[in-house]
Amino acid sequence: MLLFILRRLLMLIPVIIGLTVIMFAIARLLPGDPVGLAAGPNATQAEIAALAVEFGLDQPIWVQYWTYVTGLMQGDLGTSLLTRRPVAADIAAYLPATLELVFAAMAFAVLVGIPLGLVTAVWRNKWPDYLSQVAAIGAISMPRFFLGLLLQLCFAMWLMWLPLGGRLPIIVIPPPRFTGFMTIDSLIAGDWDTFTLSLRHLALPAIAMSLSPLATIMRMMRASTIEVMGQDYVMTARALGLSPRLIITKYVARNAISATLTVIGLYFGWLLGGTVLVETVFDWPGLGLYATKAIVSQDMMPVIGVALVIGLLFVLANLIIDVLYGVINPKVRYS
Amino acid sequence: MKTSTPLNLNRRSLLALAGVGLASTVFPRGVFAQNSAVLVIASNQDIPNFDPHTATGYSASFFMRNVYDPLVRVGGNPPEAVPGIAALWEASADGKTYTFTLNPDAKFHSGAEVTAEDVVYSFERALRLAKGNSWMIRDIVVPGGVTAVDAGTVQFDLAVPFAPFLQVMPWIFIVEKAVVEANLGTDDGQTWLMTNTAASGPFTVLRAEPGTLFQLGRAPTAWQANGGNLGGVIWQITREAATQRLLLERGEAQIAVDLTSEDMDALENSPGVVRILEPEYRTFSIKMNTEAGPCADINMRKAISYATNYQAIQDAAGYANLMTGPLPDGIMGHKPDLDVYRMDLEKAKEHLAKTATPEGGIKLRMVHVSGLEQQRRWALIMLDSLKALNIELEIMPMNWPDMVAACKSPETFPDLFPVYQTANYGDPDNIAFAAYHSSRNGGWQNAVYKNPAVDALIEAGRAEVDPAKRMEIYAQFQEAVVADAPDIFGVLEKRRLAMRDTVKGYSFTPVASNAIEAFGLSL
Amino acid sequence: MSYAMDDLTGPRFDKLRRAFFRFRQSKLSLLGGMLVALVLFFAIFGTALAPYPDHIAGGLDTSNRFVAPSWEHPFGTNELGQDVLSLVMAGTTVSVLAGFGVVLIGSVIGTIIGAIAGFAGGWLDEVLMRLTDLTLTIPGLILAMAIAAALGPGFGNMVIAISLSWWPGYARLVRGEVLAAREEVYVTAARAIGASPARILFRHILPNTVSPIIVKMSLDMGFAILTVAGLGFIGIGVRPPTPEWGTLLAISRSYMPEYWWTAMAPGMAMFVAVFGFNLLGDGLRDVLDPKARR
Repeated sequence: MLLFILRRLLMLIPVIIGLTVIMFAIARLLPGDPVGLAAGPNATQAEIAALAVEFGLDQPIWVQYWTYVTGLMQGDLGTSLLTRRPVAADIAAYLPATLELVFAAMAFAVLVGIPLGLVTAVWRNKWPDYLSQVAAIGAISMPRFFLGLLLQLCFAMWLMWLPLGGRLPIIVIPPPRFTGFMTIDSLIAGDWDTFTLSLRHLALPAIAMSLSPLATIMRMMRASTIEVMGQDYVMTARALGLSPRLIITKYVARNAISATLTVIGLYFGWLLGGTVLVETVFDWPGLGLYATKAIVSQDMMPVIGVALVIGLLFVLANLIIDVLYGVINPKVRYS
Repeated sequence: MKTSTPLNLNRRSLLALAGVGLASTVFPRGVFAQNSAVLVIASNQDIPNFDPHTATGYSASFFMRNVYDPLVRVGGNPPEAVPGIAALWEASADGKTYTFTLNPDAKFHSGAEVTAEDVVYSFERALRLAKGNSWMIRDIVVPGGVTAVDAGTVQFDLAVPFAPFLQVMPWIFIVEKAVVEANLGTDDGQTWLMTNTAASGPFTVLRAEPGTLFQLGRAPTAWQANGGNLGGVIWQITREAATQRLLLERGEAQIAVDLTSEDMDALENSPGVVRILEPEYRTFSIKMNTEAGPCADINMRKAISYATNYQAIQDAAGYANLMTGPLPDGIMGHKPDLDVYRMDLEKAKEHLAKTATPEGGIKLRMVHVSGLEQQRRWALIMLDSLKALNIELEIMPMNWPDMVAACKSPETFPDLFPVYQTANYGDPDNIAFAAYHSSRNGGWQNAVYKNPAVDALIEAGRAEVDPAKRMEIYAQFQEAVVADAPDIFGVLEKRRLAMRDTVKGYSFTPVASNAIEAFGLSL
Repeated sequence: MSYAMDDLTGPRFDKLRRAFFRFRQSKLSLLGGMLVALVLFFAIFGTALAPYPDHIAGGLDTSNRFVAPSWEHPFGTNELGQDVLSLVMAGTTVSVLAGFGVVLIGSVIGTIIGAIAGFAGGWLDEVLMRLTDLTLTIPGLILAMAIAAALGPGFGNMVIAISLSWWPGYARLVRGEVLAAREEVYVTAARAIGASPARILFRHILPNTVSPIIVKMSLDMGFAILTVAGLGFIGIGVRPPTPEWGTLLAISRSYMPEYWWTAMAPGMAMFVAVFGFNLLGDGLRDVLDPKARR
């Protein structure tokens, strides 16, 4: 297994190179004058030129690329023209917020989707099942930002049960930063109040993000449960007198985890890259907002950095999932 | 067995974590310290740059006014100069020499006293960098024109007399020379001052999370007199006006500065909310390309001016009044009975007939700041209005830096360009100079318009010390501009602020009123 | 041995008729079909049928701002007095056309790349597949946003930008199909007769891959429309006064909760359209590609 992991990790290198080449190509081939923009409205030609030199933008493209890649190996992702800060620092500041949102959405999808899938499998072809099928397709069809807006309208504006946005109430000082996750950090600090508050703030955006994966998990769970329940070994088990509950727990659980892993793999990249829509609605200070602002200002370093980081996370997540697959199901060969 | 192990492990470790959390001592956290009042201001503008000599924008102004001090501040309605770092001042009769006596109590956050040397340094730096607010004093205060008479006295020898001099003083802030010089780097301290401060103001920076919030706390070395009871201020960046309003209604924010007219309507009967709806010197107009394209022809400009549906503009603006000339109503020197353009399709067509395209049939280009709702509405109103002249309008949403870049030359400048001009000081010179003097060409405030006669009037106006004569000059100026029709004069939006009734000590000043000066406020 | 091509009872049409029968059986697929038909109807005729056509072209009526839903204005009016229903109807054309454009361009590019990769094999296949994988690794929305923002606002630019992040799925699919089809008997036979590779590819293999492509296209339509609306929501996309659902939704955010109808109409329209396409896509997949049915 270790060899498998190592080999996959080695494959990360060509992925990084490939990603950077593509992103660089896009960044440089597109029209626009980011240096002029960043220098500001009152900048003289000389100042713009100086800024270009400072950021290395006057060099030919391959030199710039080489500088970037060598910097990358030292963990330097370039500097943002807009914020004048290192992109790596910016990303380190914003990434945990997005990750927290993605994990929370995934958790919610799993916690609700699996039981729902089970229930609909057991009661299949009766009306709750039928309804849930339609609801599942409906959930996948619902635009995240509209859903976010609706949730905000209903729960934050009309009912006032949950907050309007942000990660914590404004006057609450965040816990000392270990992971950047408000939930985990507040637990580490032993601050139960802040933990509850952060969960409340996480609720609406996470639910808005989770609906699509939830529906898919539910459908997969249902399908695999039906398949399992029809298997011979299940019939044998029941014939032998094992309780249905034990059967479900034992055999179906394995499929549950498989299904979950598949969906997580499918959706992780999609979620990570798509948080911007929900971040906009809920003022969530994450990577999506950061990338959007950079894109609008044609500030390419952050965009490349964000794409790179998300791409890497995506590949890593897939690796972890593949390994977990092997753990769950020893029959899977590491190819 | 093997399949269930991952599940069990997870559950066990989670329980363990929760147990740790519950069992350990809980430090008192949550709401900000003990009994000090914290004012939360909701705005949608970020504060990306702390450097007082290069930053622009009302969010930056908020930062400067609270963290830094100028020589002289502005207060009251109508606005007038009040002491800042300078306790007293006097001007010579010819208006070319000003002497400021500094308040001996004035101290920087580092504990060092504010001396005349720091003032000289600050002005020299502002002029040297030529960014931010320095345009207000350019060619008036010249390098070498600011001298330290002694440690507590500063003298300004102006190149030309400048009537509104005391009005622009609040916009140049004083930095601590020793601190800046220790961190000059390669760009005169700009990189350092972007994220650090060398200030003397009533507040210091406690927390800065760009894009999310900025928390200021009362400076322990605060020397300013007559302050309120605030222990801190939080500038909360809330992108949506509707969210700002809701935060205010729920008491989670005490002041909201970006409300729309619709928000103000919704707040009308809200308990515990005070609405501030005051006329201000903030004009909204649509500049036309007077140097290139179809609008270079004065008849075309007049045709468009007569075709514009001013009523729709007023309706869509909500709490606003139509402009009656290039200067805002109420400002000193405003001429009330100018013959401005109002919608008159006949006159419009008359003027159109005198242009190179009497039947219309052309396409004009209008840009607006993408995401700025009011400007989008005006663009649509212009589109609708121009149909009567058989002129098509192409609307391009752009982001502000791109728009500013397009101002560099008449060829890149669009045909129609909407712009808000805020009077940073309550003097007609502010808008007259910024928006109509040809030296501002290439910048967003007056990209292309140039008329030597108007220039002369503006220059005469700012140099003239006698108030009556100034009024005369500005009257002529306004008539000349209306005759030239370089802009479509739009509306004067009222300033729309709302605050909780727990905020005490607030008084409205029609200058930069959204850059809240928190020092005098109490909760 | 030869089919009577115009004989409607021949084996080829039999397959289609059976497929149709299965399709009609599923109520959900029928519902999807009806919704899609409705959406397409509005996409084609929406602008013409709208009760206030001048509002769509940018006309306004500022004395009637924010009128609540009523008989004259079933979905109320917006901040400029424009009829929301008309705007949403016209927006159907924009959004559906954009979604269709994205799927079409994406599938064309993807098919070409996938076909070449699958058929040629060897290093060409490797290179093209690495390219595909890489494009998939870059988060799609960010890629589309970056390209669209740099190209500038406008309908065409937006469609191009999204298509460029859309093609990898098709490339993979077609490559898989081509790889499988390469081994089929009819291909060997064609090669034996001396048909050129291009002919084999275009005349024989590709027509047999059409049905999975169609299934994918119909499944993708919904998401394409969502992506288009997503870009509009962020503010990258069409120019005013073109109505587009995502842009309409973004503008209406400021008017919550008082003027909730300005958000409800475009949001529901989006949902209905995507829902319909997804149901239809599901139904088509069950019918045309029973191997994929769970």
